[in-house]
Amino acid sequence: MQQLQCIFLLSESSGEVMVEKQTTGHHVDRSICAWFWHQYNHHRNNDQMSVVTSPTHYLFPLIRHGIIFLACTQLELPPLLPIEFLSRFADILSDYLCAGSGAGATLNEDIVKDNFVIVYEVLDEMMDNGFPLTTEPNLLKDIVLPPNLVTKVLHAVTGNSSPSVGPTLPHAAASTVPWRSTHPKTTTNEVYVNLVEQLDASVNRDGNLRRCQVYGEIQVNSSLPGFPDLTLSFTNPSLLNDVRFHPCVRFRPWESSQVLSFVPPDGHFKLMTYRVKELKKIPIYVKPQLTSDSGNCRISALVGVRNDPGKTIDSIIVEFQLPPCITSADLTSNHGTVDILADKTCRWSIGQIPKDKLPSLSGNLVLEPGLDRLHVAPTFQVRFKIMGIAMSGLQIDKLDVKNMPANPYKGFRAQTQAGDYEFRS
Amino acid sequence: MLPQMGAAAESLSKASSLVMRIGTDAHLYDDPDDVSIKPLLESRYDSEKVDALKRLLALIAQGADVSHFFPQVVKNVASHSLEVKKLVYLYLLHYAEKRQNEALLSINCFQKDLSDTNPLVRAWALRAMTGIRLHVVSPLILAAITKCARDPSPYVRKCAAYALPKLYNLHQEEISSLEQLVDVLLRDNSPAVVGSASVAFNAICPNNYPLISKHFKRLCEALPDVEEWSQIILIEILLRYTVARHGLVRESVLFSDVTHDSTFSSVMSRCYVEGHELWSGDGRGFEEVEMGTCKNEDVDLLLKCTAPLLWSQNSAVVLAAAGVHWIVGPAEEVKKIVKPILFLLRSSSVAKYVVLCNILAFAKAAPLLFDSFYEEFFISSSDSYQIKTIKLEILSTIATESSVPFIFGEFQDYIRDPDRRFVADTVAVIGFIAKQLAVLAGTCLEGLLKLVLSEPLVSGSYQIEEEDGVLVQAIISIKSILKQDPSSHEKVIVRLVRNLDRIKNSASRALIIWIFGEYSSMGDVIPKIAPTVLKYLAWSFHSDEVEAKLQILNTCAKVTAKTKGNNEDSTLFKKILNYILQLATFDQNYDVRDRARFIRNLMGNKTKNNLDIYRDLIESMFCTKPASSPYPSANIRVYLPGSLSQVVLHAAPGYTPLPKPGSAVIENPTGLNNSSDVDESEGSSPQYSTEDNRSGYDTGTEETSENGDYEETPLVNISEANVDQGQTSQNDMSNFVSTDLSEMMSRTALESWLDETPSFSNGSFGQSHSQNVSTSNARVSFNDRNFKLKPRKSHVLLEPANSDGLRISYSFSTEVSSVSPLLVCVDLLFENFAKETLRNINIRFEEASGNSISGPTDPVLEDSASMVSPDKIPTFPMEEIPLLSPNETVKRILQVRFQHHLLPLKLHILWNGKMHLGKLWPDIAYFLRPLSLDMNSFVEKEKQLPGMFECSRRCIFSDHLQELEQNEKISVNADKSLVVAHCFAVKILSSSNFYLVSMDMPVSLKPDDMSGLCLRFAGEVVNSSKPCLITVIAHGNLTEPLDVTVKLNSEDTVFGLNLLNRLVAIVQ
Repeated sequence: MQQLQCIFLLSESSGEVMVEKQTTGHHVDRSICAWFWHQYNHHRNNDQMSVVTSPTHYLFPLIRHGIIFLACTQLELPPLLPIEFLSRFADILSDYLCAGSGAGATLNEDIVKDNFVIVYEVLDEMMDNGFPLTTEPNLLKDIVLPPNLVTKVLHAVTGNSSPSVGPTLPHAAASTVPWRSTHPKTTTNEVYVNLVEQLDASVNRDGNLRRCQVYGEIQVNSSLPGFPDLTLSFTNPSLLNDVRFHPCVRFRPWESSQVLSFVPPDGHFKLMTYRVKELKKIPIYVKPQLTSDSGNCRISALVGVRNDPGKTIDSIIVEFQLPPCITSADLTSNHGTVDILADKTCRWSIGQIPKDKLPSLSGNLVLEPGLDRLHVAPTFQVRFKIMGIAMSGLQIDKLDVKNMPANPYKGFRAQTQAGDYEFRS
Repeated sequence: MLPQMGAAAESLSKASSLVMRIGTDAHLYDDPDDVSIKPLLESRYDSEKVDALKRLLALIAQGADVSHFFPQVVKNVASHSLEVKKLVYLYLLHYAEKRQNEALLSINCFQKDLSDTNPLVRAWALRAMTGIRLHVVSPLILAAITKCARDPSPYVRKCAAYALPKLYNLHQEEISSLEQLVDVLLRDNSPAVVGSASVAFNAICPNNYPLISKHFKRLCEALPDVEEWSQIILIEILLRYTVARHGLVRESVLFSDVTHDSTFSSVMSRCYVEGHELWSGDGRGFEEVEMGTCKNEDVDLLLKCTAPLLWSQNSAVVLAAAGVHWIVGPAEEVKKIVKPILFLLRSSSVAKYVVLCNILAFAKAAPLLFDSFYEEFFISSSDSYQIKTIKLEILSTIATESSVPFIFGEFQDYIRDPDRRFVADTVAVIGFIAKQLAVLAGTCLEGLLKLVLSEPLVSGSYQIEEEDGVLVQAIISIKSILKQDPSSHEKVIVRLVRNLDRIKNSASRALIIWIFGEYSSMGDVIPKIAPTVLKYLAWSFHSDEVEAKLQILNTCAKVTAKTKGNNEDSTLFKKILNYILQLATFDQNYDVRDRARFIRNLMGNKTKNNLDIYRDLIESMFCTKPASSPYPSANIRVYLPGSLSQVVLHAAPGYTPLPKPGSAVIENPTGLNNSSDVDESEGSSPQYSTEDNRSGYDTGTEETSENGDYEETPLVNISEANVDQGQTSQNDMSNFVSTDLSEMMSRTALESWLDETPSFSNGSFGQSHSQNVSTSNARVSFNDRNFKLKPRKSHVLLEPANSDGLRISYSFSTEVSSVSPLLVCVDLLFENFAKETLRNINIRFEEASGNSISGPTDPVLEDSASMVSPDKIPTFPMEEIPLLSPNETVKRILQVRFQHHLLPLKLHILWNGKMHLGKLWPDIAYFLRPLSLDMNSFVEKEKQLPGMFECSRRCIFSDHLQELEQNEKISVNADKSLVVAHCFAVKILSSSNFYLVSMDMPVSLKPDDMSGLCLRFAGEVVNSSKPCLITVIAHGNLTEPLDVTVKLNSEDTVFGLNLLNRLVAIVQ
């Protein structure tokens, strides 16, 4: 029987067990958490373990937002199942608990503790006997109602908590398209398609582009009444190297003519993920230089725009890890701020590149006594964001909506941000 | 920052976090037990109950044991508020196993909820009921699942499928009925249900291939629509079925030439099938196994249906689908799994490692599949160490001559990585690749040498462990490359040795000294420098560490032994050796001293004769290498792709390899035309399917029809049974109601049966006929009991051995309680076996002693009781027996109310001031009141309770044989069939509290044929006052055991099912 026996939520900072949910008759003692916590701290530096063999159980940890989601089992099961499940659970939990509290809010251990009842109720609906039961967010939200501001205030004022459990089973649970709730909701008759791309690039010591690819997602936010049938087509689908789809996408039309035909769920969802490989151009470059002599290392780095994408490049941050053999560092920049964090990460926040000058960083690193030259080289990671452009060049041709009484409003957006974007020195 | 500002900021952040916490359950989590929880649980208000339950949940979350609240919590299961229910269920599921007895109290409410109109409530009730895992109630759970498997809501059916494995874990006996339910659910038209059914299948009967064979085509076609989690399981099931049914595929990558390393892939295929424990490690492929081909329709269909799943958003599904193509897909098409799997690497960092483990296994078997994708395995700085090493291993596996320049270019960057462990691994991989591709040996050696001699590594002042690791690894790599072709890399050795003085690390020194000793007699240059090197070693010996010292000893011995003849060198070597031996004999380390003594004894022997022998000995000891180990196949650990075992590299508990290829022989080969036949018939009713087959027989070819027939056999059997039953009962009914003859028959039959009863009132024939019959009948069962009915079974409540000679036995009475219809009457028989008189014997219920935990006044049950009758029903107290003289027996009637028809009632038995605990076990057959019905109203009622309210079981009745034998002796003339019917009625009436509605005798030409004997009983369930109808139909010859079908119609299905089981037990 493929089943998870227990799910724990631990605090990443203190190891405290916040939630314990036993899913089968074989109770897992929570001492396993202490064991795991010890192991985790022992290997914290650069080891993220994805499957941990403890003396009694196999553990699948997922660390997100300072929370360790820990699934335990004793029996063989496809390891990707718990991994996928936990990440789905973490997503849904963030959606539940943070959507109402303003943009940018992320899950943290306090939020989990404050809403532990919802965490339990959601988890109980998501898993039965250690196997995923209902993981479709729209369906879940009908069964276990997410907290919203109105109920919260009401609760604070009257002291009565409003029920967190939906009155009845959503119809969608019974329908053939479980991702779509069929009962009428007030809809705004809009659909937004958003291309979100991450640019992975790696430039080696000699300044040669080793790898450059885009990992993209098509995020759709649909608010359409009834049972709409959508068709999305691209002008240049041949660009796409790899694809993966949301279950609502029909396979046949894609196989035959590379169009996405689907009945969308309500609200926000990830329609498709794709990859475009072997790109030749990167929008931004870093030129690091390190020269070391007699226990000192001079460091300098230049950042500039190459192959101007035509839109402003925003929130540029350059980060690199100071090698362990550095005792002190003195870094200055002509633009932006430089911080050295506790774990010896050096973060240079640039923001936008000014028109008149190239941002540059320079400074001096002092090596450990006895070491003459620096024999290791840090890797410079760059983060940035470009709104309004998909760096892969993928273009949406059109979005057809069928089965609709009135023509809905359609919106399209695109953005690119840096993924694994790194320069070796 | 100014201190005030800091304070302000702090209070601001506090305030904002306070805002965040408004309206949440934060206060409950922080102080779950700041109020008394118990009164809240007993509150009348749902909101207070919710509050209390949330506090309990918080305590559970924090690891406190709050199971002592169980009795209070379990009462709330009857709440109508969904939120209370949900919270109670969460609590129950956590503790039920600890508190089994109390958990039983919730069963009633679950059963009530199972017929709620809200599907969510039904589903929750089923999930909770099956989740609490009580072994006692497994029949109830089976009944509940059976009911829910036919629920109109797919969600409830899905939960029913999920409930099956839970029941199976609890109770593995009724596997056939579970398999039937799986079968039913696999047939479902909702993909979600089919998916869950496959999960249940995998847990209950993963090897039941005939079942999959029936549904194979449908399952394949449903695969894309099934929920993603079930897809993972269903793919595995279909793969196992295909392999078991059709064998491994000859064209697959495991057996083809695409694989670069045929040994590995054949080992792999063996591991897949046989698992590691069985595999003997001989590295042979297996020819004896049955091989299929992918031209097979089933295999082809499976491949077609799993291909689109390679695009799934769930990475586990992608990997499972890829596994299918890997194992049964044709080799030339296996390419198409490569890109989807590689794309998985980008999904999440946690999944990455698992995917890489699988890629590594694939790449080892077929490196050519991945060789052009080497860039995917280049390291990114965000990778964890674990991921970096496995990427390196993959790169080393797939490197080819064309890709190696790029890979090495990349490696040059890695060598400067701050993580030195990773650098050491990179260096090891360089050595490995150079060994594989001999062309590269020169470049690799050059690079490695440069690394070894680079300043930071050897500069003595700055030494950390990790740097040493890199250095040692680099020299090991050099050593392994040298081994391939030492003579052409003489210069490398010389350079290493020349730098020996710069290298301080003892492990590295030991390695270099070994290399020198090993190749000391080779080439031109090395022998020339040998004296200098040995001198240097002798000089440095005292400052070296143990590891290096041992190697110096070995090397000196080797060099001396290898030098033949008696030239200058040889004497010099001997001198040096002696010098070193002397130093070593007085070393602090005993290993070094040992080694020195050992070598001295071998070498130091002066006699000329022996010298040669010793020299040979030394040479063979130090210089001859054992033959390099053959292909290390025993170290290959391969498990099925996508499994946990493949990631942890040992067989995880519960891991099962693929079934033996071709092991499943299913009689009906599902060819295309056949399978479509089967499909059609599955969709239609069994009756239809037989007809369909017949027509198929006429038109189709002989072969197909034969196969079809074979396939249908079980179906036909079932339908025959059903149809027959229906027909007979119809016949019986029409006989009874309309035909005069049959009326006469049954009438006379009854009369002659009843002629022995003195009190039989001779009602006149006519319209009130059945009325009369029934009244007289009732009297029979009443008055005649002592004569006609067998004594009721009596159970012992108290053994005389434990109780000063008091024995109490009880039997259930058919009397109806005068106090309340909810009470059951129990006859108690008190006997005194002692020699003294017993006084003040009384019986009390546990409630009376103040123990409220499971007392009969449990509010849950009160609730249900009060619905029936508003006044409280106490269990009626027994009249005390003041005196019981020796050998006296006294009878008392006790009126009891059982909480549940399966649970015992606890009693306190008091006598002579002592107390003893006893348990009164209920007999479900007496939880009924006789319900007097006439035939017509019986039929009417029966029609109102069709389908799910009806259940039936078959059994064998053989008591009549004995009866007939006895009768034969007494009177020859008695109607034999009458005797049988009589015997039957007595059997049932004497151990249950039913009312005999009618008894139909068969009208048959054959005198001994009893087929068609039909008895009808009616009763009313005590607790719910719902009618419960029993129809017993017999088949067969009266001289043999009869085949009996007992059919029960009742609204209270769970009770009914238990009752049915009891009845069958009674009849048998």
